[in-house]
Amino acid sequence: MSYFRITLTRSGIGMPKRTQGVLKALGLRHRMTTVFYPVTPEVAGQIMRVKELVTVQEVDKPLTKSEVRAERRPDPGFYLESAAPRG
Amino acid sequence: MLSRTIRRSILDSRIPTSALPPTFLLPNRARYFNSTVQHVDAPSESLDASLLATNTSAEAPETVAPVRRPIRPKVPLPPAPISSPMALDASVKEMLPLLAAQPSHYISAHIHAKPYLVTAGDTVRLPFHMPGVVPGDILRLNRASSLGSRDYTLKGTPYLDERVFECRARVMGTEAEPMRTKEKKKRRNRRINTVKSKHKFTILKIAEIKINSLEDIEGSGESV
Repeated sequence: MSYFRITLTRSGIGMPKRTQGVLKALGLRHRMTTVFYPVTPEVAGQIMRVKELVTVQEVDKPLTKSEVRAERRPDPGFYLESAAPRG
Repeated sequence: MLSRTIRRSILDSRIPTSALPPTFLLPNRARYFNSTVQHVDAPSESLDASLLATNTSAEAPETVAPVRRPIRPKVPLPPAPISSPMALDASVKEMLPLLAAQPSHYISAHIHAKPYLVTAGDTVRLPFHMPGVVPGDILRLNRASSLGSRDYTLKGTPYLDERVFECRARVMGTEAEPMRTKEKKKRRNRRINTVKSKHKFTILKIAEIKINSLEDIEGSGESV
């Protein structure tokens, strides 16, 4: 089962009501929100309605909200090699 | 005379407190009472009214136990050793000994994706207070975008392989900025709110920048 990974890259502001409704139905409230939907003709049709505003990727399994956040978090770039004695 | 009768009528009309239902059954209180009960899985059979009344008077005590989360370490833990053998370009293999042979090196180390161009002995005041470290801790900086000497520079795409170099930093302590005050005032209102802030910053000293020799890099790649 594959999923669509849909990210809203352009805002829906200024679009017709129908287009904004499609974004709302997809759960895309603001820019750079990412949602996952199974690959179905219904979702494909919704994406076609807003194809100019979103970027779509096909993935094997959906990520949770925290996993999507963790993806964007940069690497800390350090780790504790030897700890001083703590009092 | 008339005032006395009025007073008496008021006194009589006052309902004795015993006739009223207990406070926890009053509609507005009963709602809180219900909302607290929802947390409890199985309410006990012996619902003592007096006990409940004292509970509701104490503004609906929270019976929810604090949620136990897995304790996340404040300082990142050492990453797992990379098992994949390192693919070094032929030109890198040729030039890396030359780079290592030169006396002093600089590194562009990235901490939380922010680059710090440093060399050994430099003091870095991080723009934040690093939690969970104390003075004397040795941090290993394992993310760098470039590493160089006077004549050679090894650039990462976008980061260098962390097995090429060893960069260590010692935590020296924290530094505090002078107290800042900011006056917040709204229009058409005399009230002035003074906000104070005094941030702390962690000081690091770069203890060591070492470039691993080709044998070490290849050996570690094969052994793991």
